[in-house]
Amino acid sequence: MGSLAAYTNSAFLWICALAAFAVIALQTVIYMRAARTAGPDLGFTPQDWKRSLRSGAIAAIGPSLAVAVVAVALLALFGTPAVLVRIGLVGSAATETASADLAAGTMGAELGGASWSPEVFATALFAMSLSGGMWLVTTLILTPLLKRGDTRLRRTNPTLMAIVPSAALLGAFASLSISELPNGTVNVLIVAVSALVMAGCLLLARWLGLAWLREWALGISIIIGLVAAYFAHFSAIGPA
Amino acid sequence: MPDDMSRADAAYSAYDRTTSRWGRITMLMVLVIALAAPLYLVFFSGLQLAFGELLTAFLAVAAVFGLIWVIEPLTYYPVLGPAAMYQAFMIGNIANKLVPSAIVAQQAIDAKPGTRRAELAAVMAICGAALVHLVSLLVLVGLLGTWLVSALPDSVVEVARLYIFPAIIGAVVVQLVSYAKQPRITVIALATAAVVQLGLVPVLGEQFGNFATAVVVFGTVALAWVLRDRRAERGTATSVSASADQPPQQ
Repeated sequence: MGSLAAYTNSAFLWICALAAFAVIALQTVIYMRAARTAGPDLGFTPQDWKRSLRSGAIAAIGPSLAVAVVAVALLALFGTPAVLVRIGLVGSAATETASADLAAGTMGAELGGASWSPEVFATALFAMSLSGGMWLVTTLILTPLLKRGDTRLRRTNPTLMAIVPSAALLGAFASLSISELPNGTVNVLIVAVSALVMAGCLLLARWLGLAWLREWALGISIIIGLVAAYFAHFSAIGPA
Repeated sequence: MPDDMSRADAAYSAYDRTTSRWGRITMLMVLVIALAAPLYLVFFSGLQLAFGELLTAFLAVAAVFGLIWVIEPLTYYPVLGPAAMYQAFMIGNIANKLVPSAIVAQQAIDAKPGTRRAELAAVMAICGAALVHLVSLLVLVGLLGTWLVSALPDSVVEVARLYIFPAIIGAVVVQLVSYAKQPRITVIALATAAVVQLGLVPVLGEQFGNFATAVVVFGTVALAWVLRDRRAERGTATSVSASADQPPQQ
Protein backbone atom coordinates (compact mmCIF):
# COMPACT_ATOMS: atom_id res chain seq x y z
CA MET A 1 0.00 0.00 0.00
CA GLY A 2 3.00 2.31 0.42
CA SER A 3 3.21 3.31 -3.21
CA LEU A 4 -0.57 3.65 -3.47
CA ALA A 5 -0.62 6.19 -0.62
CA ALA A 6 1.89 8.33 -2.52
CA TYR A 7 -0.75 8.78 -5.22
CA THR A 8 -3.90 8.95 -3.06
CA ASN A 9 -2.24 11.60 -0.88
CA SER A 10 -0.48 13.59 -3.58
CA ALA A 11 -0.21 17.32 -2.98
CA PHE A 12 -2.06 18.14 -6.18
CA LEU A 13 -5.14 16.19 -5.04
CA TRP A 14 -5.08 18.11 -1.75
CA ILE A 15 -4.96 21.41 -3.65
CA CYS A 16 -7.96 20.35 -5.77
CA ALA A 17 -9.95 19.33 -2.69
CA LEU A 18 -9.32 22.61 -0.89
CA ALA A 19 -9.97 24.65 -4.06
CA ALA A 20 -13.33 22.92 -4.58
CA PHE A 21 -14.31 23.72 -0.99
CA ALA A 22 -13.22 27.33 -1.45
CA VAL A 23 -15.45 27.68 -4.52
CA ILE A 24 -18.47 26.26 -2.63
CA ALA A 25 -17.78 28.75 0.16
CA LEU A 26 -17.53 31.58 -2.39
CA GLN A 27 -20.85 30.61 -3.97
CA THR A 28 -22.48 30.44 -0.54
CA VAL A 29 -21.30 33.94 0.35
CA ILE A 30 -22.53 35.37 -2.98
CA TYR A 31 -25.95 33.76 -2.54
CA MET A 32 -26.23 34.95 1.06
CA ARG A 33 -25.53 38.52 -0.03
CA ALA A 34 -27.97 38.31 -2.96
CA ALA A 35 -30.75 37.08 -0.67
CA ARG A 36 -29.98 39.77 1.92
CA THR A 37 -30.15 42.52 -0.72
CA ALA A 38 -33.33 41.36 -2.44
CA GLY A 39 -35.10 40.00 0.65
CA PRO A 40 -36.74 43.09 2.18
CA ASP A 41 -38.52 43.97 -1.09
CA LEU A 42 -39.86 40.41 -1.35
CA GLY A 43 -41.29 40.14 2.17
CA PHE A 44 -38.20 38.25 3.34
CA THR A 45 -37.03 40.26 6.36
CA PRO A 46 -33.50 40.24 7.83
CA GLN A 47 -34.94 38.11 10.67
CA ASP A 48 -36.26 35.61 8.10
CA TRP A 49 -32.80 35.64 6.49
CA LYS A 50 -31.06 34.82 9.75
CA ARG A 51 -33.68 32.31 10.83
CA SER A 52 -33.54 30.43 7.50
CA LEU A 53 -29.75 30.28 7.56
CA ARG A 54 -29.72 29.01 11.14
CA SER A 55 -32.53 26.46 10.68
CA GLY A 56 -30.91 25.12 7.52
CA ALA A 57 -27.56 24.79 9.27
CA ILE A 58 -29.01 23.04 12.33
CA ALA A 59 -31.11 20.70 10.21
CA ALA A 60 -27.97 19.75 8.25
CA ILE A 61 -25.98 18.70 11.34
CA GLY A 62 -27.53 15.24 11.68
CA PRO A 63 -27.22 14.30 7.99
CA SER A 64 -23.69 15.81 7.86
CA LEU A 65 -22.46 13.72 10.79
CA ALA A 66 -23.89 10.59 9.21
CA VAL A 67 -22.30 11.42 5.84
CA ALA A 68 -18.94 12.11 7.55
CA VAL A 69 -19.01 8.71 9.28
CA VAL A 70 -19.61 7.02 5.94
CA ALA A 71 -16.91 9.13 4.28
CA VAL A 72 -14.41 8.09 6.96
CA ALA A 73 -15.11 4.47 6.02
CA LEU A 74 -13.92 5.22 2.46
CA LEU A 75 -10.60 6.80 3.51
CA ALA A 76 -8.62 3.57 3.39
CA LEU A 77 -9.72 3.05 -0.19
CA PHE A 78 -9.41 6.49 -1.79
CA GLY A 79 -7.27 8.56 0.59
CA THR A 80 -8.36 11.83 2.20
CA PRO A 81 -8.26 14.34 -0.70
CA ALA A 82 -10.16 12.11 -3.16
CA VAL A 83 -12.84 11.40 -0.54
CA LEU A 84 -13.18 15.13 0.14
CA VAL A 85 -13.55 15.95 -3.56
CA ARG A 86 -15.93 13.11 -4.38
CA ILE A 87 -18.14 13.26 -1.25
CA GLY A 88 -17.81 17.04 -0.85
CA LEU A 89 -19.02 17.58 -4.40
CA VAL A 90 -22.06 16.12 -6.07
CA GLY A 91 -21.42 12.47 -5.27
CA SER A 92 -22.73 10.47 -2.35
CA ALA A 93 -20.90 7.59 -0.72
CA ALA A 94 -23.19 5.15 -2.48
CA THR A 95 -22.80 6.49 -6.04
CA GLU A 96 -19.05 6.97 -5.69
CA THR A 97 -18.39 3.51 -4.30
CA ALA A 98 -20.56 1.98 -7.01
CA SER A 99 -18.74 4.01 -9.71
CA ALA A 100 -15.31 3.05 -8.40
CA ASP A 101 -16.33 -0.59 -8.23
CA LEU A 102 -17.65 -0.53 -11.81
CA ALA A 103 -14.50 1.19 -13.08
CA ALA A 104 -12.18 -1.19 -11.25
CA GLY A 105 -14.21 -4.10 -12.61
CA THR A 106 -13.41 -3.10 -16.20
CA MET A 107 -9.71 -3.62 -15.36
CA GLY A 108 -10.38 -6.97 -13.72
CA ALA A 109 -9.64 -5.45 -10.31
CA GLU A 110 -11.55 -5.12 -7.06
CA LEU A 111 -11.95 -2.30 -4.56
CA GLY A 112 -9.41 -2.58 -1.78
CA GLY A 113 -7.93 -5.99 -2.60
CA ALA A 114 -4.40 -6.80 -3.83
CA SER A 115 -5.45 -5.73 -7.32
CA TRP A 116 -6.23 -2.16 -6.10
CA SER A 117 -3.08 -0.61 -7.60
CA PRO A 118 -2.24 3.07 -8.26
CA GLU A 119 -3.25 2.53 -11.91
CA VAL A 120 -6.65 1.13 -10.93
CA PHE A 121 -7.14 3.93 -8.39
CA ALA A 122 -6.34 6.60 -11.00
CA THR A 123 -8.67 4.99 -13.55
CA ALA A 124 -11.47 4.71 -10.98
CA LEU A 125 -11.00 8.34 -9.90
CA PHE A 126 -11.05 9.41 -13.55
CA ALA A 127 -14.34 7.58 -14.19
CA MET A 128 -15.93 8.83 -10.95
CA SER A 129 -14.91 12.43 -11.58
CA LEU A 130 -16.07 12.45 -15.18
CA SER A 131 -19.38 10.87 -14.20
CA GLY A 132 -19.80 13.35 -11.30
CA GLY A 133 -18.95 16.16 -13.72
CA MET A 134 -21.78 15.07 -16.01
CA TRP A 135 -24.31 15.97 -13.29
CA LEU A 136 -22.88 19.50 -13.34
CA VAL A 137 -23.00 19.60 -17.14
CA THR A 138 -26.65 18.51 -17.30
CA THR A 139 -27.55 21.00 -14.56
CA LEU A 140 -25.80 23.80 -16.44
CA ILE A 141 -27.66 22.91 -19.64
CA LEU A 142 -31.10 22.07 -18.24
CA THR A 143 -31.59 24.80 -15.59
CA PRO A 144 -31.85 27.74 -18.05
CA LEU A 145 -34.16 25.69 -20.31
CA LEU A 146 -36.44 24.69 -17.43
CA LYS A 147 -36.45 28.27 -16.15
CA ARG A 148 -37.79 29.55 -19.46
CA GLY A 149 -40.67 27.05 -19.39
CA ASP A 150 -41.33 27.75 -15.72
CA THR A 151 -41.55 31.52 -16.22
CA ARG A 152 -44.00 31.05 -19.08
CA LEU A 153 -46.16 28.70 -16.98
CA ARG A 154 -46.23 31.10 -14.05
CA ARG A 155 -47.55 33.81 -16.32
CA THR A 156 -50.17 31.73 -18.11
CA ASN A 157 -51.33 29.47 -15.29
CA PRO A 158 -50.78 30.69 -11.72
CA THR A 159 -53.13 28.02 -10.29
CA LEU A 160 -50.91 25.27 -11.72
CA MET A 161 -47.79 26.91 -10.29
CA ALA A 162 -49.43 26.97 -6.86
CA ILE A 163 -49.79 23.19 -7.03
CA VAL A 164 -46.51 22.15 -8.68
CA PRO A 165 -43.95 22.84 -5.89
CA SER A 166 -45.92 21.06 -3.13
CA ALA A 167 -46.86 18.18 -5.40
CA ALA A 168 -43.28 17.75 -6.66
CA LEU A 169 -41.85 17.78 -3.11
CA LEU A 170 -44.47 15.41 -1.70
CA GLY A 171 -44.11 13.12 -4.73
CA ALA A 172 -40.31 12.99 -4.50
CA PHE A 173 -40.23 12.17 -0.79
CA ALA A 174 -43.18 9.78 -0.87
CA SER A 175 -41.31 7.90 -3.60
CA LEU A 176 -37.95 7.89 -1.81
CA SER A 177 -39.49 6.66 1.46
CA ILE A 178 -41.70 3.96 -0.06
CA SER A 179 -38.76 2.67 -2.15
CA GLU A 180 -36.96 1.99 1.17
CA LEU A 181 -39.65 -0.43 2.35
CA PRO A 182 -38.81 -3.45 0.14
CA ASN A 183 -35.15 -3.26 1.33
CA GLY A 184 -35.82 -5.28 4.50
CA THR A 185 -37.57 -5.45 7.84
CA VAL A 186 -34.95 -3.28 9.52
CA ASN A 187 -35.43 -0.56 6.88
CA VAL A 188 -39.20 -0.55 7.44
CA LEU A 189 -38.63 -0.31 11.19
CA ILE A 190 -36.14 2.57 10.84
CA VAL A 191 -38.41 4.58 8.52
CA ALA A 192 -41.22 4.12 11.07
CA VAL A 193 -39.06 5.02 14.11
CA SER A 194 -37.66 8.10 12.40
CA ALA A 195 -41.16 9.20 11.30
CA LEU A 196 -42.64 8.68 14.78
CA VAL A 197 -39.83 10.57 16.53
CA MET A 198 -40.32 13.49 14.13
CA ALA A 199 -44.10 13.43 14.71
CA GLY A 200 -43.50 13.43 18.49
CA CYS A 201 -41.04 16.33 18.27
CA LEU A 202 -43.38 18.42 16.10
CA LEU A 203 -46.34 17.81 18.42
CA LEU A 204 -44.26 18.67 21.50
CA ALA A 205 -42.95 21.77 19.73
CA ARG A 206 -46.51 22.89 19.00
CA TRP A 207 -47.95 22.11 22.46
CA LEU A 208 -45.11 23.66 24.42
CA GLY A 209 -44.30 26.40 21.91
CA LEU A 210 -40.69 25.24 21.48
CA ALA A 211 -39.43 26.70 18.19
CA TRP A 212 -35.92 25.28 18.68
CA LEU A 213 -37.29 21.72 18.88
CA ARG A 214 -38.64 22.04 15.33
CA GLU A 215 -35.12 22.86 14.09
CA TRP A 216 -33.41 20.07 16.02
CA ALA A 217 -36.14 17.51 15.31
CA LEU A 218 -34.43 16.15 12.19
CA GLY A 219 -31.13 15.54 14.00
CA ILE A 220 -32.90 13.89 16.94
CA SER A 221 -34.92 11.64 14.61
CA ILE A 222 -31.81 10.55 12.70
CA ILE A 223 -29.86 9.70 15.84
CA ILE A 224 -32.71 7.74 17.46
CA GLY A 225 -33.35 6.08 14.09
CA LEU A 226 -29.71 4.99 13.82
CA VAL A 227 -29.61 3.76 17.43
CA ALA A 228 -32.72 1.67 16.71
CA ALA A 229 -31.01 0.47 13.51
CA TYR A 230 -27.94 -0.57 15.50
CA PHE A 231 -29.96 -2.79 17.85
CA ALA A 232 -32.25 -4.13 15.11
CA HIS A 233 -29.35 -4.88 12.74
CA PHE A 234 -27.46 -6.94 15.33
CA SER A 235 -30.58 -8.72 16.61
CA ALA A 236 -32.67 -11.53 15.23
CA ILE A 237 -34.47 -9.44 12.58
CA GLY A 238 -31.28 -8.05 11.04
CA PRO A 239 -29.66 -9.65 8.02
CA ALA A 240 -27.50 -12.55 9.29
CA MET B 1 -49.53 49.13 -4.79
CA PRO B 2 -48.07 49.30 -8.34
CA ASP B 3 -44.92 50.86 -6.94
CA ASP B 4 -44.48 48.01 -4.45
CA MET B 5 -44.99 45.46 -7.18
CA SER B 6 -42.37 46.89 -9.48
CA ARG B 7 -39.95 47.19 -6.57
CA ALA B 8 -40.48 43.52 -5.74
CA ASP B 9 -40.07 42.52 -9.37
CA ALA B 10 -36.92 44.61 -9.73
CA ALA B 11 -35.46 43.15 -6.53
CA TYR B 12 -36.27 39.63 -7.66
CA SER B 13 -34.79 40.04 -11.10
CA ALA B 14 -31.57 41.50 -9.63
CA TYR B 15 -31.40 38.52 -7.27
CA ASP B 16 -32.13 36.14 -10.13
CA ARG B 17 -29.39 37.69 -12.29
CA THR B 18 -26.76 37.47 -9.54
CA THR B 19 -27.59 33.90 -8.51
CA SER B 20 -27.83 32.61 -12.08
CA ARG B 21 -24.62 34.23 -13.25
CA TRP B 22 -22.55 33.32 -10.19
CA GLY B 23 -24.24 29.94 -9.88
CA ARG B 24 -23.03 29.09 -13.36
CA ILE B 25 -19.55 30.57 -12.90
CA THR B 26 -18.89 28.74 -9.63
CA MET B 27 -20.29 25.51 -11.03
CA LEU B 28 -17.93 25.71 -14.04
CA MET B 29 -15.00 26.39 -11.69
CA VAL B 30 -15.84 23.30 -9.65
CA LEU B 31 -16.21 21.25 -12.81
CA VAL B 32 -12.69 22.21 -13.89
CA ILE B 33 -11.25 21.49 -10.42
CA ALA B 34 -12.99 18.13 -10.12
CA LEU B 35 -11.61 17.03 -13.49
CA ALA B 36 -8.13 18.42 -12.82
CA ALA B 37 -7.49 15.90 -10.03
CA PRO B 38 -7.75 12.73 -12.14
CA LEU B 39 -6.23 14.40 -15.24
CA TYR B 40 -3.15 15.19 -13.16
CA LEU B 41 -2.86 11.52 -12.20
CA VAL B 42 -3.39 10.47 -15.81
CA PHE B 43 -0.86 12.83 -17.41
CA PHE B 44 1.67 13.98 -14.84
CA SER B 45 2.06 11.36 -12.13
CA GLY B 46 4.17 8.94 -14.13
CA LEU B 47 1.50 6.23 -14.09
CA GLN B 48 1.13 4.29 -17.34
CA LEU B 49 -2.57 4.49 -18.18
CA ALA B 50 -4.06 3.43 -21.49
CA PHE B 51 -6.63 5.75 -23.05
CA GLY B 52 -8.76 2.75 -24.01
CA GLU B 53 -8.93 1.55 -20.41
CA LEU B 54 -9.94 4.98 -19.12
CA LEU B 55 -12.68 5.21 -21.73
CA THR B 56 -13.96 1.70 -20.94
CA ALA B 57 -14.07 2.48 -17.23
CA PHE B 58 -15.98 5.70 -17.83
CA LEU B 59 -18.45 4.00 -20.19
CA ALA B 60 -19.13 1.31 -17.56
CA VAL B 61 -20.04 4.02 -15.06
CA ALA B 62 -21.96 6.04 -17.67
CA ALA B 63 -24.08 3.00 -18.56
CA VAL B 64 -25.34 2.86 -14.98
CA PHE B 65 -25.64 6.57 -14.18
CA GLY B 66 -26.16 8.15 -17.61
CA LEU B 67 -29.93 8.32 -17.28
CA ILE B 68 -29.69 9.70 -13.76
CA TRP B 69 -27.47 12.62 -14.89
CA VAL B 70 -30.45 13.87 -16.89
CA ILE B 71 -33.31 12.72 -14.69
CA GLU B 72 -32.12 14.19 -11.39
CA PRO B 73 -31.99 17.82 -12.56
CA LEU B 74 -35.44 17.37 -14.14
CA THR B 75 -36.80 15.84 -10.92
CA TYR B 76 -35.44 18.46 -8.55
CA TYR B 77 -36.02 21.62 -10.59
CA PRO B 78 -39.67 22.02 -9.51
CA VAL B 79 -38.59 21.35 -5.92
CA LEU B 80 -35.57 23.67 -5.78
CA GLY B 81 -36.12 26.50 -8.25
CA PRO B 82 -33.38 27.90 -10.51
CA ALA B 83 -30.99 29.54 -8.01
CA ALA B 84 -30.80 26.55 -5.67
CA MET B 85 -30.17 24.17 -8.59
CA TYR B 86 -26.61 25.51 -8.89
CA GLN B 87 -26.07 25.04 -5.15
CA ALA B 88 -27.65 21.61 -4.89
CA PHE B 89 -25.92 19.93 -7.80
CA MET B 90 -22.55 21.25 -6.72
CA ILE B 91 -22.84 19.98 -3.16
CA GLY B 92 -24.87 16.83 -3.72
CA ASN B 93 -26.66 15.05 -0.88
CA ILE B 94 -29.83 16.69 -2.19
CA ALA B 95 -32.48 14.32 -0.84
CA ASN B 96 -30.76 13.50 2.44
CA LYS B 97 -29.46 16.93 3.44
CA LEU B 98 -30.29 19.98 1.34
CA VAL B 99 -34.01 19.61 0.66
CA PRO B 100 -34.73 18.56 4.27
CA SER B 101 -32.88 21.70 5.45
CA ALA B 102 -34.93 23.83 3.07
CA ILE B 103 -38.19 22.37 4.40
CA VAL B 104 -37.17 23.00 8.01
CA ALA B 105 -36.35 26.65 7.23
CA GLN B 106 -39.52 27.24 5.22
CA GLN B 107 -41.53 25.87 8.12
CA ALA B 108 -39.51 27.91 10.64
CA ILE B 109 -40.39 31.22 8.96
CA ASP B 110 -43.83 29.96 7.94
CA ALA B 111 -43.39 30.62 4.21
CA LYS B 112 -46.04 29.25 1.86
CA PRO B 113 -44.74 26.69 -0.68
CA GLY B 114 -44.25 28.14 -4.14
CA THR B 115 -43.80 31.77 -3.05
CA ARG B 116 -40.68 33.90 -3.52
CA ARG B 117 -40.35 34.01 0.26
CA ALA B 118 -40.21 30.22 0.34
CA GLU B 119 -37.66 30.27 -2.48
CA LEU B 120 -35.38 32.63 -0.56
CA ALA B 121 -35.81 30.59 2.63
CA ALA B 122 -34.73 27.47 0.72
CA VAL B 123 -31.67 29.20 -0.73
CA MET B 124 -30.62 30.52 2.68
CA ALA B 125 -31.21 27.13 4.30
CA ILE B 126 -29.02 25.51 1.67
CA CYS B 127 -26.35 28.16 2.39
CA GLY B 128 -26.48 27.15 6.06
CA ALA B 129 -26.39 23.47 5.14
CA ALA B 130 -23.47 24.09 2.77
CA LEU B 131 -21.43 25.70 5.55
CA VAL B 132 -22.13 22.80 7.92
CA HIS B 133 -21.32 20.38 5.08
CA LEU B 134 -17.93 22.02 4.42
CA VAL B 135 -16.95 22.35 8.07
CA SER B 136 -18.02 18.81 8.99
CA LEU B 137 -16.08 17.28 6.10
CA LEU B 138 -12.99 19.42 6.67
CA VAL B 139 -12.88 18.70 10.40
CA LEU B 140 -14.19 15.14 10.67
CA VAL B 141 -12.76 13.75 7.43
CA GLY B 142 -9.90 16.11 6.55
CA LEU B 143 -8.38 16.66 9.99
CA LEU B 144 -9.63 13.84 12.20
CA GLY B 145 -10.37 11.22 9.53
CA THR B 146 -7.33 9.05 10.01
CA TRP B 147 -7.82 9.03 13.77
CA LEU B 148 -11.56 8.33 13.44
CA VAL B 149 -10.84 5.30 11.23
CA SER B 150 -9.14 3.67 14.19
CA ALA B 151 -11.56 5.01 16.83
CA LEU B 152 -14.94 4.17 15.27
CA PRO B 153 -15.99 0.53 15.71
CA ASP B 154 -16.72 -1.19 12.39
CA SER B 155 -20.25 -1.97 13.56
CA VAL B 156 -21.09 1.75 13.93
CA VAL B 157 -19.71 2.59 10.49
CA GLU B 158 -21.62 -0.31 8.97
CA VAL B 159 -24.93 0.72 10.56
CA ALA B 160 -24.46 4.33 9.47
CA ARG B 161 -23.67 3.22 5.92
CA LEU B 162 -26.62 0.83 5.66
CA TYR B 163 -29.32 2.83 7.40
CA ILE B 164 -28.48 6.53 7.08
CA PHE B 165 -31.08 7.03 4.38
CA PRO B 166 -34.12 5.35 6.02
CA ALA B 167 -33.24 7.16 9.28
CA ILE B 168 -33.47 10.50 7.46
CA ILE B 169 -36.34 9.87 5.06
CA GLY B 170 -39.02 8.84 7.60
CA ALA B 171 -38.57 12.07 9.56
CA VAL B 172 -38.41 14.24 6.43
CA VAL B 173 -41.70 12.90 5.08
CA VAL B 174 -43.48 13.72 8.37
CA GLN B 175 -41.95 17.20 8.49
CA LEU B 176 -42.86 17.82 4.86
CA VAL B 177 -46.48 16.73 5.35
CA SER B 178 -46.80 19.01 8.38
CA TYR B 179 -45.21 21.91 6.47
CA ALA B 180 -47.11 21.58 3.19
CA LYS B 181 -50.56 21.23 4.86
CA GLN B 182 -51.93 19.65 1.68
CA PRO B 183 -53.80 16.49 2.76
CA ARG B 184 -55.25 15.93 -0.70
CA ILE B 185 -51.86 16.11 -2.48
CA THR B 186 -50.24 14.05 0.31
CA VAL B 187 -52.66 11.18 -0.29
CA ILE B 188 -52.15 11.45 -4.07
CA ALA B 189 -48.34 11.42 -3.63
CA LEU B 190 -48.35 8.39 -1.31
CA ALA B 191 -50.75 6.46 -3.55
CA THR B 192 -48.73 7.27 -6.69
CA ALA B 193 -45.49 6.31 -4.96
CA ALA B 194 -46.96 3.03 -3.70
CA VAL B 195 -48.24 2.07 -7.16
CA VAL B 196 -44.96 2.95 -8.90
CA GLN B 197 -42.44 1.72 -6.30
CA LEU B 198 -44.24 -1.37 -5.02
CA GLY B 199 -46.29 -2.22 -8.14
CA LEU B 200 -44.32 -1.20 -11.24
CA VAL B 201 -40.67 -1.35 -10.13
CA PRO B 202 -40.69 -5.09 -9.21
CA VAL B 203 -42.32 -5.88 -12.58
CA LEU B 204 -40.36 -3.54 -14.86
CA GLY B 205 -36.99 -4.04 -13.17
CA GLU B 206 -33.79 -2.19 -12.31
CA GLN B 207 -33.62 0.13 -15.34
CA PHE B 208 -37.09 1.47 -14.61
CA GLY B 209 -36.16 1.79 -10.93
CA ASN B 210 -33.59 4.43 -11.92
CA PHE B 211 -36.26 6.87 -12.94
CA ALA B 212 -39.14 5.67 -10.76
CA THR B 213 -38.91 8.77 -8.54
CA ALA B 214 -39.10 11.05 -11.57
CA VAL B 215 -42.23 9.15 -12.69
CA VAL B 216 -43.75 9.62 -9.22
CA VAL B 217 -42.93 13.35 -9.20
CA PHE B 218 -44.50 14.02 -12.59
CA GLY B 219 -47.39 11.63 -11.88
CA THR B 220 -48.15 13.37 -8.59
CA VAL B 221 -48.02 16.82 -10.20
CA ALA B 222 -50.35 15.71 -13.00
CA LEU B 223 -52.83 13.98 -10.66
CA ALA B 224 -52.74 16.83 -8.14
CA TRP B 225 -53.72 19.15 -11.00
CA VAL B 226 -56.47 16.91 -12.40
CA LEU B 227 -57.89 16.09 -8.95
CA ARG B 228 -57.53 19.58 -7.45
CA ASP B 229 -60.30 20.94 -5.26
CA ARG B 230 -62.44 22.71 -7.86
CA ARG B 231 -64.87 24.09 -5.28
CA ALA B 232 -62.07 26.35 -4.10
CA GLU B 233 -61.26 27.19 -7.70
CA ARG B 234 -63.49 30.28 -7.96
CA GLY B 235 -61.64 31.85 -5.08
CA THR B 236 -58.20 30.61 -6.15
CA ALA B 237 -57.10 33.53 -8.28
CA THR B 238 -57.28 35.75 -5.22
CA SER B 239 -56.20 33.22 -2.61
CA VAL B 240 -53.07 32.25 -4.52
CA SER B 241 -51.60 35.62 -5.26
CA ALA B 242 -52.99 37.58 -2.31
CA SER B 243 -51.82 35.04 0.24
CA ALA B 244 -50.19 37.85 2.20
CA ASP B 245 -47.00 35.96 1.76
CA GLN B 246 -45.87 37.94 -1.22
CA PRO B 247 -47.25 40.86 -3.16
CA PRO B 248 -49.34 39.96 -6.22
CA GLN B 249 -47.14 39.30 -9.20
CA GLN B 250 -49.28 40.48 -12.09
